[in-house]
Amino acid sequence: MNVIALQLANQRTARPVLALECERDVHRSESDPTRNSVPLRFTLPAPNQGAMTAQTVQQGDLVTVVGLEVHVQLETDTKIFCGCSTEQTDEPNENVCPVCLGLPGALPVLNEGAVEAAVKIGKAIDADIPEETRFHRKNYYYPDLPKNFQITQYDEPICADGELEVSVEGTRRSVTIERAHLEEDPGSLQHVGGGIDTADYTLVDYNRAGTPLMEIVTAPDFRSPDEVRAFLAELEEVLEYLGIFDAERDGSLRIDANLSIIPEAEIDGDNADEISADALEAANRTEVKNISSHKGAQKALAYEETRQKNAIQRGRAVEQETRHWDEARGITVSMRSKEEEKDYRYFEEADLPPLRVSDWKEEIAIPELPSARRERFGDEYGLDEEAASKLTSTKQVADFYEDVAGEFDPDLAATWVADNLLGELNYRDIEITEIEGRLEEVKRLVALVDEDEITAKNARETVLRSMLDDGRTPDEVVAEEGLGKTSGDEVRQAVVEAIDENQGAVEDYESGDDGAINFLVGQVMQKTGGSADPSDVNQLLRAELED
Amino acid sequence: MTENLFITEETIEGDDDGPLAGQTVAVKDNISTEGVRTTCGSEMLSEYVPPYDATVVSRLKEAGATIVGKANMDEFGMGTTTETSAFGPTENPAAPGYVPGGSSGGSAAAVAAGEADLALGSDTGGSIRCPAAFCGVVGIKPTYGLVSRYGLVAYGNSLEQIGPFADSVEDAAALLDVIAGEDERDATTQEPPHDSGTRAAEHSSYADAATGDVDGLSIGVPTELLEGADEGVVETFWDTIGDLEDRGATYHEVSLPSVEHAVEAYYVIAMSEASSNLARFDGVRYGNSGGYDGNWNEAFSKAREEGFGDEVKRRILLGTYALSAGYHDKYYKKAQDARAWVKQDFDEALEEADVLASPTMPVPPFELGEGLEDPLQMYLADANTVPVNLADLPAISVPAGETDGLPVGLQLVGPAFGEKQLIEAASALA
Repeated sequence: MNVIALQLANQRTARPVLALECERDVHRSESDPTRNSVPLRFTLPAPNQGAMTAQTVQQGDLVTVVGLEVHVQLETDTKIFCGCSTEQTDEPNENVCPVCLGLPGALPVLNEGAVEAAVKIGKAIDADIPEETRFHRKNYYYPDLPKNFQITQYDEPICADGELEVSVEGTRRSVTIERAHLEEDPGSLQHVGGGIDTADYTLVDYNRAGTPLMEIVTAPDFRSPDEVRAFLAELEEVLEYLGIFDAERDGSLRIDANLSIIPEAEIDGDNADEISADALEAANRTEVKNISSHKGAQKALAYEETRQKNAIQRGRAVEQETRHWDEARGITVSMRSKEEEKDYRYFEEADLPPLRVSDWKEEIAIPELPSARRERFGDEYGLDEEAASKLTSTKQVADFYEDVAGEFDPDLAATWVADNLLGELNYRDIEITEIEGRLEEVKRLVALVDEDEITAKNARETVLRSMLDDGRTPDEVVAEEGLGKTSGDEVRQAVVEAIDENQGAVEDYESGDDGAINFLVGQVMQKTGGSADPSDVNQLLRAELED
Repeated sequence: MTENLFITEETIEGDDDGPLAGQTVAVKDNISTEGVRTTCGSEMLSEYVPPYDATVVSRLKEAGATIVGKANMDEFGMGTTTETSAFGPTENPAAPGYVPGGSSGGSAAAVAAGEADLALGSDTGGSIRCPAAFCGVVGIKPTYGLVSRYGLVAYGNSLEQIGPFADSVEDAAALLDVIAGEDERDATTQEPPHDSGTRAAEHSSYADAATGDVDGLSIGVPTELLEGADEGVVETFWDTIGDLEDRGATYHEVSLPSVEHAVEAYYVIAMSEASSNLARFDGVRYGNSGGYDGNWNEAFSKAREEGFGDEVKRRILLGTYALSAGYHDKYYKKAQDARAWVKQDFDEALEEADVLASPTMPVPPFELGEGLEDPLQMYLADANTVPVNLADLPAISVPAGETDGLPVGLQLVGPAFGEKQLIEAASALA
């Protein structure tokens, strides 16, 4: 099966061929509200005219309120309702079948692996999981949606009322996760010959269609873009720990954020997490779409926060609208002038009988999560919070640390994994997963240091770097560069020679010039080809000169 | 041949041997056949060639059957006469000048005309039983979940089942034996329970159950399903009940008070589901997709305006309305409540009777062209068949005689997965 083209009007006229202003997200279809072509369309009242302006509130009394809808692609081998592979391929429409193409007569069959992944999320966020889970149809028309409805969950999400703890600038906060539900990803569109509004034609690729998605909806619990970033980073970490998420995968994380600015007075003094529904209702919010990373979320929301505060400061009302995050330009742009609420006509998907999951929560095990592991690293290995945090940043890092700490001193292990290895990897923009096959070599290097075979400095600056840069093993680097620590006798011999050959320096030292010792250390290091430990040499020299 | 039985006449050979070897089968044109176009009687799909076989078609081929063509039908199954087909009406071989019933009119007529030994239809609210009754053949609507719907182009997916047509109950049962049973591609299917505690449950196949034994059979007659029916039809019905009594069956009247809401509930549910099921036909992959100026919604709208007939548009619009915010509770949700009530009524009535009997259709066949102008009158003709779909139960329509030379069908309804009991009883008549 090849590319499927949308054969719409293809002439270039002043009027846009396609009335869409920008890329859409996974669950909402937009259209030009000034046109009226589809039989049924539902519009909510115009934006809140009484929204806050500078007349009512002074700058400085304002608080930012953010809630998130996060779409996460779940890592399953096959799609959520058919047996097609979820692997990303370059060839369009390769991983497709009658079911994910939405061919007439094809029926969905639930992939229980996706439900299992969802239950893992539910356990990780301590959510309520219902006795049985069922699916609904969300009806809307969009060319990337094979059936023109999306199979999703409506009033009985697989996870409800959970929470995730995040640490923001040293303070731990709990974010309420109102719900998390399973759904199918639509296909993707490729506009040819221009942007979305100028393209000659648009191609549809259904490879992505049917990839399992989890939509995670938070309460409006965030008070700053930094909190959002911290939450998303924590969420990604948890999902990776659960083994159900691949952050490297293109489009695996997609975020819609709702941001409002409200008067500080509306925050309950006793409970800073609670904001009255009335206050949120009174403030116009913007929904920012097209965010694909936690860093992007922070930038987009910082921009949006400033934009709204400026508007209020200048006495202008904030429009209730959807805005698109333009990553390249670093700004949000308006997608439509008026917020239009769609009627999705949800109803039950009769093709998928309810699945009993009441026992799954007990039966499905999840690994120790980052926050618990961080705490344990502190207790068990005596690590400070910073080191524990670094060492639990991904499951692979934490697993490797525990491996190393099991064989060597935990502090030595922490220095080697958190500082040396991660430092060099970060510098090279390499993930630990990419050198998974070479972690044994890193352990060998730590062993060489632990056994005093080479100096810590050589191990870090020469051996580790050459391992990463030229792919040599630690033993090869040590042998080829002659870094093996010289024996005590050799060093002692070099010390004696250095003293003999540099009587001037010896005299300077003896007359009180302590700096002269450094010259002598240098001489010894030269004689030993850099393989002696400078502090040992220093001590040996002093001892010899005392005699 | 003048009846316009098939939309596409094409022979699809099955395996060399099997229980249906040497038998010819007409397949309703909403059941997907790999490589052979499957139009659903619609202009929208006039060029659609499925790349896969429906599960029932695979099973037919494995059973050695020869498919002889894709039978005419009301567009997307929406009709009671086969007149809403974009490929023209089918004439009733058993009553020239009259409709064959619908929506599986082509399938029933192919069997009645002798152009196929057997046929497959689909029944969302009576679409097998109505044409079986009008054409004087046997038609079975199985319990929801007995036959795989994989490959059946959906109209009302919570209601419909594929089922067989034949001249005799035994032949229809033999075809049911081939198509019934769990399918991993349809999550709503299941294996029927081994012993449902009903009559005839001991037979190892549906065909074996066609013994014609009605001795001791307890028949319940729902009085509501006789009210307002054509006098000649009612007379033929009672004659048939009398015939069964003569052979050892007994009957008593039962009441199904909920069925007065069944037609309304059925149409709300079926149309709501249809509005969603038919949404995919938007001109992108099916129908006329080219050359429209304007935005995507306008292009979709144009493709749907051109590709769908009036009855289909009417049902999509009404279904969309019934699901809309502010109306959902008033229509869709209420219809679901009524459905639960209908189910309960049938279950209770079937505790006191082995089968429930009524005329399949309250009226004899319409003349060609007679009913198209008044859709509501047409919907009411489904009064006796739609409650069965709401209750997910099996039913059979078997020829019961004639009134004024026009065929009349007897409908028997049984408990869930009680097909053998229906087959046993109905085989006393055909």
